[in-house]
Amino acid sequence: MIGLWIGKCVLWLMQRFGRRATSLPGKMALRISPRLFARLARQLNFCAVVTGTNGKTTTTAMLSRMFAAGEPVIHNAEGANMQQGILTALLRAASWTGRLRVRTAVFEVDEATLPVVAPYLPIRVAVVTNLFRDQLDRYGELDTTVRKVTEGLARTAASLVLNGDDPLVRHVGLSLGTHHVVYFGMHRGHLHPLEREVMRDGAFCLRCGHPLRYDGFFYGQLGQYACTHCDFVQPHPTFCGQYEPGRLHVHQEGLPGMSFPLPTRGLFNAYNALAAVAAARVSGLSAGQIERGLQSFVPPLGRMQPFATTPVSVLNLIKNPAGCDSVLAAIAAEPGDKGFCILINDLAADGRDVSWLWDADFEWLPDRIQPAFCVAGGLRAEDMAVRLKYAGLPAAAIVPVPGIEPAIDAALDRAAARGVSLYVLATYTALYPAARHLTRRADTTSGTASWDAGRKNDETHPDSPPVSRSPESVRG
Amino acid sequence: MKPIRIAHLFPDLLNLYADKGNILTLRRRLAWRGIPVEVEQVRRDDPLHLSRYHLVLLGGGSDREQALVGEVLRKQRAEWASAVASGLPLLAICGGYQLLGEYYETAEGLKVPGLGLLDMRTTAGSTRLIGNIAIESPECGRIVGFENHAGRTEHRHLPLGTVLHGHGNNGQDGKEGVRYQNVIGTYIHGPLLPKNPRLADFVLQLALAYAGAPAELSPLDDALELLAHEAFFQRRIVVGRGLRRGDGAGASR
Ligand SMILES: [Zn+2]
Repeated sequence: MIGLWIGKCVLWLMQRFGRRATSLPGKMALRISPRLFARLARQLNFCAVVTGTNGKTTTTAMLSRMFAAGEPVIHNAEGANMQQGILTALLRAASWTGRLRVRTAVFEVDEATLPVVAPYLPIRVAVVTNLFRDQLDRYGELDTTVRKVTEGLARTAASLVLNGDDPLVRHVGLSLGTHHVVYFGMHRGHLHPLEREVMRDGAFCLRCGHPLRYDGFFYGQLGQYACTHCDFVQPHPTFCGQYEPGRLHVHQEGLPGMSFPLPTRGLFNAYNALAAVAAARVSGLSAGQIERGLQSFVPPLGRMQPFATTPVSVLNLIKNPAGCDSVLAAIAAEPGDKGFCILINDLAADGRDVSWLWDADFEWLPDRIQPAFCVAGGLRAEDMAVRLKYAGLPAAAIVPVPGIEPAIDAALDRAAARGVSLYVLATYTALYPAARHLTRRADTTSGTASWDAGRKNDETHPDSPPVSRSPESVRG
Repeated sequence: MKPIRIAHLFPDLLNLYADKGNILTLRRRLAWRGIPVEVEQVRRDDPLHLSRYHLVLLGGGSDREQALVGEVLRKQRAEWASAVASGLPLLAICGGYQLLGEYYETAEGLKVPGLGLLDMRTTAGSTRLIGNIAIESPECGRIVGFENHAGRTEHRHLPLGTVLHGHGNNGQDGKEGVRYQNVIGTYIHGPLLPKNPRLADFVLQLALAYAGAPAELSPLDDALELLAHEAFFQRRIVVGRGLRRGDGAGASR
């Protein structure tokens, strides 16, 4: 009981003082009573989880909106996807006597956290969005991630909603043969031939080690694939998606086609919506409920998020090569001349190793976007600047400005002088300070600067050892 | 002038640590000097003609992929041995570095045989050696980057450098990498070459000499590269060690 009260007190205090309470209350409560998680979790009647490398936050948010269209639902905040973040969400829904007021939950769960929480949560539906290379220094290697996800799912009796276009996720599905598995995938019409030589993590059959043959790609390793040696092939999708600007058409096997509003931009977001629709259908939600959920969906922080600065700026989270490539592709499709500000931090939540910058296709910048300038900022501003130089951006266009706020200010000045809109790309721990500063810059023009300017941001403690990816704990 | 031909071995299997960055660095630094360059990607099922190349790059992969590569490479052991003896420049990183030795012993005690080019053995440890690293090389000065390996490597050759900060070959003897003939092996990625332009040019110089074109490399404007090297060293190595030296260490924040 003490743990519950401590957790609820921390939660209350943080909310009282306007802090983002996404993980810390759960972390404190867990330290005092490790069994609290199980005590709260077992009161749930239904739990859906979303895991995978990219798109967890968006997919989870969409799915929870769909559930919320019919009943109250517990949902963990963006990025707080480890045990303490999930516990914080449960604490928020718990009374002071430890009774859950809401019995349905939709959680985003970190890949490595899944085996830890799976035994306690009544997981009925589990979504795997995709498995890309992400944060090698935390998990070691990609194989470990595949193993963790498989291990976590094996500890549930859930129906699995898997991305059939991803050979690594397909492998997970095949190794969990006793589960009820459905696949989602994009319509062939969205396939495109590979234009550039890029490494794909799933390019080899995990079963026999032979190369996979692709007939076309959606993005990254997602595509139409088959093993050249054994019978490992892309599954026929139970839920097949086709999208156009603003709409997603879904064909569910054996049923008439459905069509939903698509409140986000870009192919990767169409995948997220498709995953959420499939999970909702498997959970028994009606098309009407799904439609209402998507209509009420507000894109989360840092997914093509606009700010009313002068000139206008758009913020995007980047955290791994595949995610970064899809962001660059989405930006390239936007009209008008552009300037960039790319903020790279290397705190634990970002991954200490910034090698991934070299796997991301920043060649898109000189080749297809030709930005007026590119300011490189954050704790690894200079590494990013070198990356841009070798990507082929003219030296005069590359401006290293260490830090976050100085980099954004320098970029906004340049964007104003050149009359272009500004695209800000930021890694996880740079995202919140960037959003804060952009909001402040937008407020200043309308005369309502209200942010706590004296508050320290992530940069002040570059080497504090955060334990979760949530912003309050990395802030130190 | 005939182009410098670089072989990028098994980019489909060994590309865990952004070898693309190393290739791109070599390619650009030659091109900026007006030296023609060809990079050939050699895949697992392609025939490998070592005599075609003036420089060979071998990157890192996961255990499974490394075992596959070892299997393929060993079929040409004799060619490898004679090419290295005749001075073929070879840059091997992480898993590629381990493959140069006699074997890699996995945590399960399985010995995956390597190329056996070096008197060197690697054994998987119970923990991964992960983190920022800086070493001092007698030939290329200070080299910085990131390491992430479970393997503990022991060998009887010269190291690439001595560890200033980080783990190195085995976390014990203060040595990092290997230098033998024109072979450079190292655990440092990050990737290795972009932020270490002196090492990049050292590798290129070896390749030019081997190609029979011992031209001096003209200097490039490395301001950005050196800025990144120095910023990394000051913020991620010196501060990380809690050192405060008179040369401005730690003053960057
Ligand atoms: Zn196969």
